[in-house]
Amino acid sequence: MTSVKTHTIPRIYPGTPVKNTFVRAIIRHALLICVLFVLLYPLLWLLGASFRPNNEVFNGLGLFSENYTIQNYIDGWGAGSASFTRYFGNSLLVTVVSILGNLFSCSLTAYAFARLNFPFKNALFAILIGTMLLPMHVTLVPQYILFNKLGWINTYFPLTIPHWLGVDAFFIFLMVQFIRNLPRELDESARLDGCGHFGIFLRIVMPLSLPAIGTTAMFTFIWTWNDFLGPLLYLNRSDMQTVPLALNAFLDSTGQSSYGELFAMSVLSLAPIVGFFIVSQRLLIEGIATTGMK
Amino acid sequence: MKWIRRSSGIAAAAGLALTLAACSGGAEGAGGDSQDGTGDVSGQIAVAWWGGEARSAKTNAVIDLFTAQNDGVKVDGQATADFSKYFDKLNVQAASQSLPCAVQLQGRQVNDYTKNDLLMPLDPMIESGAIDVSDIPKSVLDNGRGTDGKLYFLPYGAAYDAVGINTTLADEAGVGLPEEGYDWDDYMSYLTEAQESLPEGVRAIDSNGGRPNFFIGWTLANGKSLFNDEGKLGFTEQDLTEYWNMWETVRKAGVTMPAARTAEEPTGPDQGFFATGEVMSDTIPGNALTPATETLEGQGEGQEMTTIPFPSGPAGSGNALYPSGFAIPVSCDNVPTAAAFIDFFTNDLEAGKAFAADNGAPTNTKVLEALIADDSLTPTKKHELELYKQIVESDPQAIVFPPGYQATFESSFKRAYEDVSFGKSTVEDAVKQFFSEANSSLGT
Repeated sequence: MTSVKTHTIPRIYPGTPVKNTFVRAIIRHALLICVLFVLLYPLLWLLGASFRPNNEVFNGLGLFSENYTIQNYIDGWGAGSASFTRYFGNSLLVTVVSILGNLFSCSLTAYAFARLNFPFKNALFAILIGTMLLPMHVTLVPQYILFNKLGWINTYFPLTIPHWLGVDAFFIFLMVQFIRNLPRELDESARLDGCGHFGIFLRIVMPLSLPAIGTTAMFTFIWTWNDFLGPLLYLNRSDMQTVPLALNAFLDSTGQSSYGELFAMSVLSLAPIVGFFIVSQRLLIEGIATTGMK
Repeated sequence: MKWIRRSSGIAAAAGLALTLAACSGGAEGAGGDSQDGTGDVSGQIAVAWWGGEARSAKTNAVIDLFTAQNDGVKVDGQATADFSKYFDKLNVQAASQSLPCAVQLQGRQVNDYTKNDLLMPLDPMIESGAIDVSDIPKSVLDNGRGTDGKLYFLPYGAAYDAVGINTTLADEAGVGLPEEGYDWDDYMSYLTEAQESLPEGVRAIDSNGGRPNFFIGWTLANGKSLFNDEGKLGFTEQDLTEYWNMWETVRKAGVTMPAARTAEEPTGPDQGFFATGEVMSDTIPGNALTPATETLEGQGEGQEMTTIPFPSGPAGSGNALYPSGFAIPVSCDNVPTAAAFIDFFTNDLEAGKAFAADNGAPTNTKVLEALIADDSLTPTKKHELELYKQIVESDPQAIVFPPGYQATFESSFKRAYEDVSFGKSTVEDAVKQFFSEANSSLGT
């Protein structure tokens, strides 16, 4: 397809020489790369600093140094009472369970709001949207009391179970809007072929909602992976810590901070996010392409 | 949902949480079986502290010693690395009546908790002998008292602010160290003199008029009090005007860092301009000498630094102590064990050695002597401890910080002086602004 396009351009604008668009593309890309470099500079600096010895970490804003070492990565990985193998495992567990929970509960709830008719539907939807307006600080203390009474402190339940109960109104709203845009005729034809609601949900709505699912999974991943306050409040034991908590342990404003190790482990903790983003970005484009063909 | 984006608002929630705690706190009263800390030392307690990996390892070593000595005791350690995050967590636990049985506090926050009757007074436990304070100097112990005069936390380690001097730069500038017993005028002329011969780009001191640490030292040296009995500001507008004018004189003469650079200085004492050798002198926490020295070594120019006491004045020494210690909340259900633990942590010689003065100098004089005599400590660490000893001998005044100090005083003070140093406001206007801001929220 793309090759056809490039050939058609000169025909549509017969007066425009090909070379000109080529030069323009180079200029445009050069500009974009410059902006990108400025944008990424802090990250590059982080990467550079993570390879410097601890007491040279803050030597200026340059990227390069005379001394390079991978000691920060070796020491950092083994820091703490458990190693980062454990912390990454913990983070992965919490994140995967949260994503599955959100996909399960939010898509079912969204289907109900978008396709079913039941009493008080609009009122319930308004309440759901209303929960998005509640600042999280208002519910912080009641939640803590609740989880404390349930004996869930020092477990992963407070961080994962709520996601299985559809408390993330934002994702439900996102999916409702998406499902509403799917043509109802598809549902009806499935119904004629003998599908019930679960059949329609699984065979028609879900496959067509891939972009919304991808978005939900991606944001849940980023938010859960980076979440600091939740693990801070609910996880006390050091072998249960997630990556953000373990990173925080490198910093100590009243004692000795290990910035080199902090930066090294920060670089590693960013890798899954970048990787997941690349993967789910492809999913997003595929999803959009699929729905575009309908 | 977007927890990551909202952490800045946690402080506000923390305030709310404490108020909630006040509403629900009274009814339960003391959950413990004894007010005086005597009874069976057994069962489980939770202990919370702030500190990174290094300190947590040492604290856990002390906990192991404690459990080895007391059969059937289990201690659940809760470490939070970051100082401010630690208090976020504590506030949520306070509001839900689930504070650990031993919580680490400092004088700057203790009255945020005593205001809401969340902590047990320790005086009955001292009378009963459950907690021993005979080896802690009174001037140090008094820092653990609340606004009502009762002891609410048992100081185990005392931090202090010191004046750091980059000795290499000072020698190059031909000024050496300030003479012993120097006062504020001496310090200012010392800095001004040094500035004339300092290398290009290096300043004698940071633009420090907005730092509470120096101001607290100045009020102590001049016999003013920071707060009055109602918890409002205890000094006059004239005092503060005089103080800020003093800083404005040196700032305008180019002796300090430009205000714009100070405003963007990294906060940690091991990242600041003093640690990187860009200013010759600054106030640093006494126990930050070790990390700051390491950063300076990393600059690769072979510079050295040391710490000296604050300038004194007509009222004597300008040094204040900021001890950390453990408190016992009223919601604790195992007071005897908690009392035994904090007594052990503060007074036991082996515990003191295992902790190795990680959070300020040991308040227990026997532990302090033992550590100074210990050869395994680095010379820098020893200098920290010896300077502490010198400061305690000058009988420093204990400061009672009213509720709301941390949340309002520190930020208002810095902001008001920045208005002056950025030329947006006159000293007189900024002083008025600060007084109205601070007095409206302090001590309530």
